Amino acid sequence: MSIYLDRSRSIGEFVPEPDDGLIICRCEEITKGEIRQAVHEGMWTMTEVKRFLRAGMGLCQGQTCGRIVKGIIAKELGLEAAELPGNVDRAPARPIELTILGNEGEQ
Amino acid sequence: MAECSEVLIVGAGIIGCATAYYLAKRGISVTVLEGEMIGHGGSSRNAGGVRQSARDIRELPLAMYSVKHLWPALSEELGVDVEYHQVGNIRLGLTNDHMEILKKLVENCKKDGLDVRLVSGEEAREICPYMSEEVIGASWCPSDGNANALLSTLGYYRRARELGARFITGEEVVRLETCRGAARRAVTKRGNLYEAEHILVAAGYESRDISATLGIDIPLIRKYDECLVTEAQPDYFPQTLGTADADFYGHQTKHGSFVFGGDCGFEYFHNRRQEHTAVTANSASCMARNILKYFPVLSDIRVVRQWGGWLDKCMDGVPVLGAVREIPGLHLAAGFSGHGFGIAPAVALCLAQEIAGEETAVDLSELRYDRFKSVK
Amino acid sequence: MKRYELLVVGAGPAGLSAAIEAARLGMKVAVFDENSRPGGQLFKQIHKFFGSKEHKAKIRGYRIGAELLSEAERLGVEVHLNAVVTGIFEFMEINVMENGELCHYKGNAVLVAAGARENMIPFEGWTLPGVIGAGAAQTMMNLHGVRPGQRVLMVGSGNVGLVVSYQLLQAGIQVAAIIDAAPQVGGYGVHASKVARTGVPFLLSHTIIKAEGTERVTGAVIAKVDEKFRPIAGTEQHFDVDTICMAVGLSPMSQLLAMAGCRMEERRGTVPVLNEYGETSVAGIFAAGDVAGIEEASSAMLTGRIAGTAIARKLGYLDEETFSGEYQALKEALSRLHEGMFSPENRGRRDLTETDEGIPLSQSLLKNGYIEKEELTRFPGVVKQKGIHPVIECTQNIPCNPCQDACKFGCIAVGSRITKLPEVAKDSRCTGCGMCVASCSGQAIFLVNEDYDETGASVTLPYEFFPYPKAGERGLALGRDGRPVCEAEVISVKSSPVMDQTALLTIRVPKEMAMTARFYRAKEG
Repeated sequence: MSIYLDRSRSIGEFVPEPDDGLIICRCEEITKGEIRQAVHEGMWTMTEVKRFLRAGMGLCQGQTCGRIVKGIIAKELGLEAAELPGNVDRAPARPIELTILGNEGEQ
Repeated sequence: MAECSEVLIVGAGIIGCATAYYLAKRGISVTVLEGEMIGHGGSSRNAGGVRQSARDIRELPLAMYSVKHLWPALSEELGVDVEYHQVGNIRLGLTNDHMEILKKLVENCKKDGLDVRLVSGEEAREICPYMSEEVIGASWCPSDGNANALLSTLGYYRRARELGARFITGEEVVRLETCRGAARRAVTKRGNLYEAEHILVAAGYESRDISATLGIDIPLIRKYDECLVTEAQPDYFPQTLGTADADFYGHQTKHGSFVFGGDCGFEYFHNRRQEHTAVTANSASCMARNILKYFPVLSDIRVVRQWGGWLDKCMDGVPVLGAVREIPGLHLAAGFSGHGFGIAPAVALCLAQEIAGEETAVDLSELRYDRFKSVK
Repeated sequence: MKRYELLVVGAGPAGLSAAIEAARLGMKVAVFDENSRPGGQLFKQIHKFFGSKEHKAKIRGYRIGAELLSEAERLGVEVHLNAVVTGIFEFMEINVMENGELCHYKGNAVLVAAGARENMIPFEGWTLPGVIGAGAAQTMMNLHGVRPGQRVLMVGSGNVGLVVSYQLLQAGIQVAAIIDAAPQVGGYGVHASKVARTGVPFLLSHTIIKAEGTERVTGAVIAKVDEKFRPIAGTEQHFDVDTICMAVGLSPMSQLLAMAGCRMEERRGTVPVLNEYGETSVAGIFAAGDVAGIEEASSAMLTGRIAGTAIARKLGYLDEETFSGEYQALKEALSRLHEGMFSPENRGRRDLTETDEGIPLSQSLLKNGYIEKEELTRFPGVVKQKGIHPVIECTQNIPCNPCQDACKFGCIAVGSRITKLPEVAKDSRCTGCGMCVASCSGQAIFLVNEDYDETGASVTLPYEFFPYPKAGERGLALGRDGRPVCEAEVISVKSSPVMDQTALLTIRVPKEMAMTARFYRAKEG
């Protein structure tokens, strides 16, 4: 069971900030402002933000931006980053060509 | 002290979120309780097919209604691009046996007026030039398509929340209770109480245990399916792909990545807990080989992620929907058996209409809970 | 599908050390590494390690890596390179992408020693070419022989930032400054001093604001920060650099463990919950090295050995009694590394003011990266004697003692607790051989002779830059802060194989500069 989050709780209005244009997810080019805005639209977990914006869905699968995104979400929600569940890790740990994936040798 | 609303929905998958939306639109107060997070279950794990073809005729009207009346305007209605593309569904065959299967599927749906037909290998390659020369034929349904399951679910959630629906995640329902014979209350693992005049259980396979607390047992089994997604590629083909053998299905997304799903044979036999959704060691390789059999051109495209999910497979392959007559106030939406995404908008609309006391857009009578009978 | 007793993910210090322990006891072991060279971080560590002999002190990292690899191979460990473990699955199965195939392996135990990756902090312009991780710069230089740039701003003053800054200088690259948002240097004082004496300024309580440039980095803007790490308007400073190195910490690459269903926790990164032997919550899956919590290669080798030994016991290759003894010994060796000012429990502390001996720490070292002359005499390694004698400017409690073993004449003492500050004996019988100078991994030992001649003193310092100066040439002596303090004449440049590429540079300076001159630069032109 996940952390209890009542999505009706007020987290204040979205207030634009001067660094909203900063790219956070480099692979998919998602900005800080987009992430903050998504939180205000109800995306309160890493996975929801990821699915909504594609932040963390690129080739590096969130290795570069993950920590940073979590911090941004936590700040918007007034929580500590450690309280929020992180991204889920899945195979393959590195990108793999379909042809190699399908080539299981003489198994 | 219980939290009260007119309607309580258990499960924030696409059905839960969309029904909440259609109810909130009508000014009806809704609380949605979800144990994990929005769209945690099948709603975020399916491959995004929006098809009418090859459906059981009992759910075909829901599919056709969704495609005709709801999917096309959904992005505008929700204010989120759900990437719905009506680009057709092509289901491929390599052998004569495959063609026999396709023939039956086509005939079945044609009866209800669906624009699906058989095409030859050449015609198939005209529609989609990248397929292998080995394809000898296909079924082709131009009004089928695909959409982004993640954005559709979150889009419905976002709009429903905007309209006042209350969503609480991390709030797992363990038991329902009646009050004077009507389904009235939900109790959560945290010990919180919620009350409503109508309770909709739309929690995937977990719906079974939850409704069982009221003596309602839905005949479901679990099936574990996997998908994979590739890196972005230049546009190859937009059509939704499938095979007669159902060995893989998928499409190329707006982003350029390919999303594929498929079976490898072990799906019903995994000895796992419900929470266990980590992928297995073998299924992606099987999927890869199947994909390349039909589309060798995709050989060097890299897979960036795999995932798995649990299907709630119903005894007769189609969902259990709507009001449960023996318990007033109880409504079900479970057992979508792996093809709930495409029909979700119409299902949710009908559930909302039924709860609101309106006539449903599509007749749900063949999908009610009390339809199950022994086979002999 | 091939089955082994032990599968190890990562052929770095932890992975190889574990494999060696297991193979030594008779287990069939396979190690997989996605790189084309084994050794993990070791293959690019060109500096000498700290610790004591049991921790391979004073040996350069890449040599340790080579030693581990050849030991592993000698014991029959199969090391698979260019082999990417794509996942760890149920029933102790791993998938490996190697030689164009997806291979399946099963183990009776699996050890994940996958190490860590670099952190990033976003700032305006951080996506420009020229902004790279310090570790990436290190790989480029030390592995591929490619200069990452011509002039670098180093962001981060932890050990990685300090060590890589020094290596950038060795590669002939300018380091414009080392900055850190924290109010004091994060890494070892001796690493900072090595860099400071070459003239690189340290700017603590500063953060990076912007990388300038359109196609690539052409400059950087930094600003001072307040106690809440917020930039203070009006304190902006500009640097002309073409490279910005980010040394802002590491995060464990623990994805494989999470995928395998191990219980994870947040402890400076996502790490697996482990018992004392390194076993995760999934029976049979172990973790060691940085993936289990960021430390460094010396600890990784020990946690690897602990895991390897525990796995051997679990799988029946080691009886309880022997295991108990070995585990105790390894645990003690590890705890000896976990002491001192930079121990895991002291991490992040900024309130330490004294050494274990009760000597006030050099505040200048913490704030500027160099000790002030006036602070020196507090420390037991700094003595005034007739004739040539060592001066040890080692002022923080770090587990390290090669200096003690280096001196055949007993001039230097550390003692059994290796975090103790080294002492120079009151009547040292120093012969000026310079072994201590070359053995100090922190390059903190100098030989000083204030009686060199009537007006001059000699200072022998460790020197690791090419080209070596020539005897007889004249140049400038620099102080600890890197500023020229006087003229200097090169008396000699000595190097010998046993000193492993640390040359001894002896310069003559005016007598009164004996305790000031600490580096040498040839005159321009």
